[in-house]
Amino acid sequence: MSYKPDEKDWMAYLYDELDNDEREKVEQYLLNHAEARKEFESFQHLRSMMGAVKDKEVIAPPIVLGDAMQRILWNAPYMKMIISIAASLLLLMVVGNLTDARVSLSGNEWKISFGEPRIIEAGPANQSMASLTPEQVQEMINSSLHQNNAVIQANWDDTQRKLDASIKSNLALNAGAVNQLVREASTASQDQIRQYVSGMQSENLQLVKDYFQLTSTDQKKYIENLLVDFAKYLQQQRNDDLQLVTMKLNSIEKNTDLFKQETEQILSSIITTVNNPSTNDNTRGTKY
Amino acid sequence: MAETLLDIAMMHADTLISRAMQGDQHAQGKLVQLWYKRIYNYAFKFFLDHDLAMEASQKTFISMCKNVGGLQDAARFKSWLYTIAVNYCREEARKKKVSRSLSFEVVWNHEAEESPKWESSSQRYDNPERQLQQAELSDMLHEALLELNAEQREVVIMKEYEGLKFREIAEVLNISENTVKSRMYYGLDGLRKILERKNINKETINYEL
Repeated sequence: MSYKPDEKDWMAYLYDELDNDEREKVEQYLLNHAEARKEFESFQHLRSMMGAVKDKEVIAPPIVLGDAMQRILWNAPYMKMIISIAASLLLLMVVGNLTDARVSLSGNEWKISFGEPRIIEAGPANQSMASLTPEQVQEMINSSLHQNNAVIQANWDDTQRKLDASIKSNLALNAGAVNQLVREASTASQDQIRQYVSGMQSENLQLVKDYFQLTSTDQKKYIENLLVDFAKYLQQQRNDDLQLVTMKLNSIEKNTDLFKQETEQILSSIITTVNNPSTNDNTRGTKY
Repeated sequence: MAETLLDIAMMHADTLISRAMQGDQHAQGKLVQLWYKRIYNYAFKFFLDHDLAMEASQKTFISMCKNVGGLQDAARFKSWLYTIAVNYCREEARKKKVSRSLSFEVVWNHEAEESPKWESSSQRYDNPERQLQQAELSDMLHEALLELNAEQREVVIMKEYEGLKFREIAEVLNISENTVKSRMYYGLDGLRKILERKNINKETINYEL
């Protein structure tokens, strides 16, 4: 019993698409193998569940094709391209014909022309050029080089000379100016110095004078103030002293008055006591 | 299946297809009528989005009408049509991924809001509770389907819901039949795992055949 159905056989059996021989084999296998049977039943069960999904009802919408068949030739993209290329070629040809355009290729020449092409004649220069030998050419080159050199040399010399001249004239001009300046300076100095010195002297004089004047007035003022202050101070001092003296005199006066009164009293009391000894005790008692 | 009438019509479709191939516009219109629901449902299960599905189906049928004249063999019409549909679905999915815009349908599910599912469903289930469970299961399966990768999703929808043979799917996708079966196996296996993870089975959904 080596037969074992594979997944393809299972599917064919499940949907009943095996021929008789193979179906018998699978059925035999199912009888002998409980696990396979269980597996198969689970597939059958799945199929029965899947039967629950029903078709949806739907109404076919009208399918509009239009005149697609008639337009196929014109709609084809390559056809459009070909037609457009042909049209542009035709346009080019018409324009070319109208403007009488000609294109010619001969030798190394490619010409585009409108109308009859002009034939350009080969110039006589070409012929004469052709007859020249290399030596002549060399000679011509040499001579022209010589000429060129001579012209350059002449130019060079000329500019050199001009430059020298201008430098010289400049130098001369400068020297003259400097000399004049120096001379002017030397002649002018004597007078100027004298003037300057005298100016300085007078200025100094004025300055010192001013200074002395200023200081003397200041000092005068200061000393005046000082004297006034001192006088004031002395006056004050004298006043104070006078006051003090008068105060002292007053106090002495008062004292002497008091003393005088006291002595008078004492005297009077002595007198009374001496005069009236019986009432002496009484008066004493009332007086003191 | 509800579309027995449609099936009968498709039985006679060979003459219809050959007439359409000769450029009969009436026959082409008839083909659109016959196949629109299938292609739309394929696209809807692929996107789980009405607008994208409509977009892809319309493009598919426009392309069909334009190119049906070039079809070699009338017998291959079905796989040829699905090939076009698969390609347009892939294109729309790519566009959607690029634009990354949030569809209005996702934000406001007006279908859930204003049209209860039982109004349009068949009379097979007369019990409202069961109908609700049915609708819930359907939603969950849809979401699980959307979690598969696109290759597996294509094969699973074509096989399980469109009923194509493995040979036909191989023709549609231009791959070998074995590859189709392999994708189908891993697709179903993936679905089973997704449903297990969401803890959905007969008991939890209380669903009976």
